[in-house]
Amino acid sequence: MKRDPVILIIVAVVISLMLVFGIQKTRHQSSRQTSGSKLQGQLAPDFALPSLEGRTLKLSDFRGKAVLLNFWATWCEPCKVEMPWFVELQSKYGPQGLQVLGVAMDDSGSKEIAEFSRKMGVNYPILIGKDAVGDQYGGIPYLPSSFYIGRDGKVIDRIFGLVSRSDIEADIQKALGPTGQVAEK
Amino acid sequence: MTAARVLLALALGSSLAAAQDFSRTKQDWISFHPPEPVEIHRGSSTSIELGFRIASGLHINSHLPRQEYLKKTELNLDPPTDIVIEKVRYPAGEDQSFPFAPEEKLSVYSGDFSIAVLVRPLKTVLPAKYAIHGVLKYQACDKAVCYPPKQLPLSFEVQILKNPGGEKRRNPAQSPHAHPSG
Repeated sequence: MKRDPVILIIVAVVISLMLVFGIQKTRHQSSRQTSGSKLQGQLAPDFALPSLEGRTLKLSDFRGKAVLLNFWATWCEPCKVEMPWFVELQSKYGPQGLQVLGVAMDDSGSKEIAEFSRKMGVNYPILIGKDAVGDQYGGIPYLPSSFYIGRDGKVIDRIFGLVSRSDIEADIQKALGPTGQVAEK
Repeated sequence: MTAARVLLALALGSSLAAAQDFSRTKQDWISFHPPEPVEIHRGSSTSIELGFRIASGLHINSHLPRQEYLKKTELNLDPPTDIVIEKVRYPAGEDQSFPFAPEEKLSVYSGDFSIAVLVRPLKTVLPAKYAIHGVLKYQACDKAVCYPPKQLPLSFEVQILKNPGGEKRRNPAQSPHAHPSG
């Protein structure tokens, strides 16, 4: 059977295009999944950052609490969607030991961040972030990025990008652990 | 048949190279397509279209985003002395809503867009080819995440021609980026 070279070339081009987009898509997805994943089950790296109130807060100050560490920025629209959920969830689970901590990875000044946070009705501490802290957490290539830290200080989960409120709440409950569930009763 | 095999190998090889290149340039989220050098007569203004392509699935804020906290797209040019950028015209943003906030409209660019710059060489510029350098400042997001603000360095060339009427002074353009090449 004689093969037509033109058909062979067309097949080659099609396969090649599939390879191009396949490689690109895989890289894009895997970069989202692997960044920071090494931290799961590990002690969350401690840091000290200034808060909007001018105090310096350390992550280790919150040992014994479940911490939702949320990296965000004023220019990040998906982050804005999460913030009212965090406010509600802080109110709901705060008595059981949840502490939401917002880390603003922003190039705006603290005044702008404070104004933005006030407009969003934030009821949890906002810290002024530094790239070095993001690097401790495996790098923060995109926002929002959230880490769920258990009462023992270990990272339970990390979520990159916007997820549903129910997913966030499920991770909070995991971070609170059985103690939180008992306290709820 | 041998020729077909050679072509097949070439096609595969070039596409793999393209895959690598595509992945690398994706990190910039936006690619710039410099126009062919535009000929401009001294003392007259010419509009030059600068074409950009945003990576698939991403969008950037327009020059006039609807929300005050969003980062606008902005082109900053640094022309040689005696070449004036009279105006930068941005395209209107496209009002789009996204899954993360379906009730909210954002003014964005996606896919291909172009920015028009009005360039006017003064009558004192020596006729030659010059490079105009600059940066495009932008901030990209997809359906679920936003990437930190970035700057895309760019440059394009203009060919300055003698004014048919003739002039008295002929000072070459000075720094910062004069590259007269005749």
